[in-house]
Amino acid sequence: MNSEGRLKGRPSPPFSVGADHHAEQQTIMLNNKPTWPILVVAVGISLTACKILPTQSGGSGNAFNPDKMVEEIWVAKVVPHLQRKAVPFAEVHALAKTDPASAGAKYGNPSKQANSPWTFAVRVEGKIIAANTASRAATMDIDVDGDGKADARVQIGPAMRGTALRDSLDFIQFNDFTNQIDFAQFGKAFNAYADKTVLSKLPRDALDGRTARVLGAYTLESGQDLPLVTPAEAEIGPKP
Amino acid sequence: MKLTRRMTLAAFAGMLALGTAAPACAADLIAIITPSHDNPFFKAEAVGAEAKSKELGYEALVLVHDDDANKQSELIDTAIGRGAKAIILDNAGADATVAAVQKAKDAGVPSFLIDREINATGVAVAQIVSNNYQGAQLGAQEFVKLMGEKGNFVELVGKESDTNAGIRSKGYHDVIDDYPDLKMVAQQSANWSQTEAYAKMESILQANPDIKGVISGNDTMAMGAYAALVAANRKDVIVVGFDGSNDVRDSITAGGIKATVLQPAFAQAQMAVEQANDFIKNKKSPAKEKQLMDCLLVNGDNAPKLETFALTN
Repeated sequence: MNSEGRLKGRPSPPFSVGADHHAEQQTIMLNNKPTWPILVVAVGISLTACKILPTQSGGSGNAFNPDKMVEEIWVAKVVPHLQRKAVPFAEVHALAKTDPASAGAKYGNPSKQANSPWTFAVRVEGKIIAANTASRAATMDIDVDGDGKADARVQIGPAMRGTALRDSLDFIQFNDFTNQIDFAQFGKAFNAYADKTVLSKLPRDALDGRTARVLGAYTLESGQDLPLVTPAEAEIGPKP
Repeated sequence: MKLTRRMTLAAFAGMLALGTAAPACAADLIAIITPSHDNPFFKAEAVGAEAKSKELGYEALVLVHDDDANKQSELIDTAIGRGAKAIILDNAGADATVAAVQKAKDAGVPSFLIDREINATGVAVAQIVSNNYQGAQLGAQEFVKLMGEKGNFVELVGKESDTNAGIRSKGYHDVIDDYPDLKMVAQQSANWSQTEAYAKMESILQANPDIKGVISGNDTMAMGAYAALVAANRKDVIVVGFDGSNDVRDSITAGGIKATVLQPAFAQAQMAVEQANDFIKNKKSPAKEKQLMDCLLVNGDNAPKLETFALTN
């Protein structure tokens, strides 16, 4: 990023035309980055070498826009994938509680990282029996089987935990990202997009007793009070 | 030079082992290169990798680069020169390391990276790294909870050359910045160092006596910061670290530091050696080059189960 700015902002080079090539190499050396791919290109197209430099992306930062990436796939790929894969929460979680491996094989994202816990696409439908809207990481607890006890905790933002939406998608691979910062920011962009387009529009007051319908995902983690579901779509019914 | 002596010793030990164990031919060598063992985290990596190498019938050459990319480059030359069959590497810089690993690859020596990733794929055979970002988010979520979502806090950042310093800081802020009532009054690097963290914390505390929490990029800095807080009679300040060291475990169980995040250092190093073994013997690469290992939150509930960067059941 810096190197490009420096090159672009450079006044006309203090070298003669004949020395252009050499000057270029020197400049590149200063960047302190792997030089060989740039050199190969520079040698290949020596006459126009000055023009191609700005298109070189040395680091991860400049072109990477996770919010835009998520926006582009949300309607076309993310929601359809969740709709296709999602299973009623009670069904998945009953198996996941007793036999995580079987639940993973049956309902989980098969291309997850080897040592990561399973993530499941789920539908949560039931009655809101508690809500915490005082925290910025607001949640509502849903009873899906009518026994009066909460079964799942659904995040309603604006602050949200985890990367369950990203991790439920089998077409997303860590290997396709430059590093874990990019991968993580991509994960966060899903939460931000859900918050912006869906969750921020939900009611916040007097949630108890209303019905909720959620399409989303959750990651099987130990030591949680309740499974934490991140919605991609959510509806809250009228006051009872 | 210390390094040469270490190598000579290793070679000597190797010959001794040959003499006593007496296999038909010399055992293949695996080079294990990490930052300084002064930090128990890196020591655990080296110990884990060495143990697994020996278990699988290799000689291990254990070296430290002290976070110096030039030294790392020399050590890689050493590994190549000694005919190592694989290099297990916790590297000295995401950009600076690419050329060094490429050099090993060109010489026919495959590298298996642990802990820190590099900004290139297709150069190392494997990059097995802790999901530092996920871990930082865990630590930050606990921190936010302990802080009651509000108050002034300080962040101690790690060594700038280490890519994980930036990753953890970003992970922390990814969570904390969602809470406008949490205000960062100081953010300073203490270079992963306990003594430096002590000194930095002392001066930060003088300028900002109204702090409620400190979130630290690693455990050694958390230990330094907490010691400075105790010295200033400010045990009320919430401290959260990262790594899952035994020192911080003991502090947590004694009611000092509140939480840390465990990186599975030992298991990670062993996994790298297993993959190296598979590559050497069966010419088989892992399914994915970049592999993330999740971190775990350690607090008062599970601290007693923590031992040498692993949680027992």
